[in-house]
Amino acid sequence: MSTRLINFTLNGQPVSAAVEPHRNLVELLQRFDLFGARESCGQGLCGCCTVLVDDKAVSGCLYFAVWVDGKSVTTVESLDADGQLSPVQQAFIDAGAFQCGFCTPGFILMSHQLLKENPNPTDDDIRHYLSGNLCRCGTYPEVIEAVKLAAGK
Amino acid sequence: MIPFEMVEPRSLKEALALLDPQEPTIRPVAGGTALMLMMKAGVFTPTRLICLHAIEPEHARITVGGNGDLRIGAMATLREVEKDSNVASRFPVLARAMRTLSSVRVRNVARVGGALAHGDPHMDLPPVLSALGARVSIAGPNRNRELPLEKLYAGYYETVLEKNELITAVTVPALNGRKAAYMKVTSRTADDWPSLGVAVTFALADGRIREPIVVVSAATEKVTRMSAVEKALESAAPDDATLRRAGDAAADEVQTLSDAHGSAPYKRELLRVYLRRAVRQALDESAQ
Repeated sequence: MSTRLINFTLNGQPVSAAVEPHRNLVELLQRFDLFGARESCGQGLCGCCTVLVDDKAVSGCLYFAVWVDGKSVTTVESLDADGQLSPVQQAFIDAGAFQCGFCTPGFILMSHQLLKENPNPTDDDIRHYLSGNLCRCGTYPEVIEAVKLAAGK
Repeated sequence: MIPFEMVEPRSLKEALALLDPQEPTIRPVAGGTALMLMMKAGVFTPTRLICLHAIEPEHARITVGGNGDLRIGAMATLREVEKDSNVASRFPVLARAMRTLSSVRVRNVARVGGALAHGDPHMDLPPVLSALGARVSIAGPNRNRELPLEKLYAGYYETVLEKNELITAVTVPALNGRKAAYMKVTSRTADDWPSLGVAVTFALADGRIREPIVVVSAATEKVTRMSAVEKALESAAPDDATLRRAGDAAADEVQTLSDAHGSAPYKRELLRVYLRRAVRQALDESAQ
């Protein structure tokens, strides 16, 4: 079937790609050697595939790649592009908010969005906003600590 | 996923013309979050998707009319409804329901029209909006029509929409003091598909329930209005005896279905209990 040429901004850089309509955003990002967004559950339930499209968090596994045409796409890899960890990334390290790390990029991007919308979230706000992100290692208490740590910075 | 074509019409008229009443493998797509799950599971294999994004701006508005009616364009995202100040102030039950519905990421993408047209009985908007007395506006190639939302649903994943019709908006009448609550039960994670959804709205006059609308979802094959429950509640004082009677009527009236979210008998008991809780919650809101 036909491929389509799309143009979009990827972590601040204009890029283009030829994609088939049935490809999702995670598959597209892999072609740019970006592996921070991972397809894990494939159903939008776990948050491992979190990507920002026009500054809104989406599940990359449930988002057609062709839909980013003309849009701005931000992945976890952009956060330390200047060689410095973002406050949220540093807070996750300081709070030990991960074990295996597989889910961490999704948690970190979602935490960024949460703090942008709500700079001083309560525990309940954090739990609500991150309820769609799963950590199989069970580091939820540390994740909440990390978000509060980042909010204080 | 199996390859398919995607086309992007520039107007509603063009979109309607691209749909084919005889061809089930051609379907409209708005947010795609539910449709992609069906495609990944292999239960839906499209040949062509009609992407509605280019006609979005004029069909995504959320407005309040002079009579207090809320009109939500079908292409509004669930998150836009959740964040809308008119929804928050006039229909708190709707704003609250949005927060319990899937995750922020899905709500950023999923559209109201898709959530109504999908016909999945586990979705939350159909029962809430039905209990609020909402009407859907439907555009077709030759005529437009309007239906009470509850009449949209014909069965499990089945609606009365023709394959070449599109929902353009949903209109919710002003609450005018009616009490409203929606309760859902998820048996696995907080943001999972529910085992049961139950929505109630009613007026309260002289301490008695008037004109109740009671709707069940998720436990049943489709969004279902429960007339026996409404009869049990009508003109009754909302005391423990009334609520028990209404809960029992609900359990008797409805045929619950077993699925991954719970067995039919389990859901029947959930309904018996949660119907009472929903009426109580609606009454509590008035105290706030």
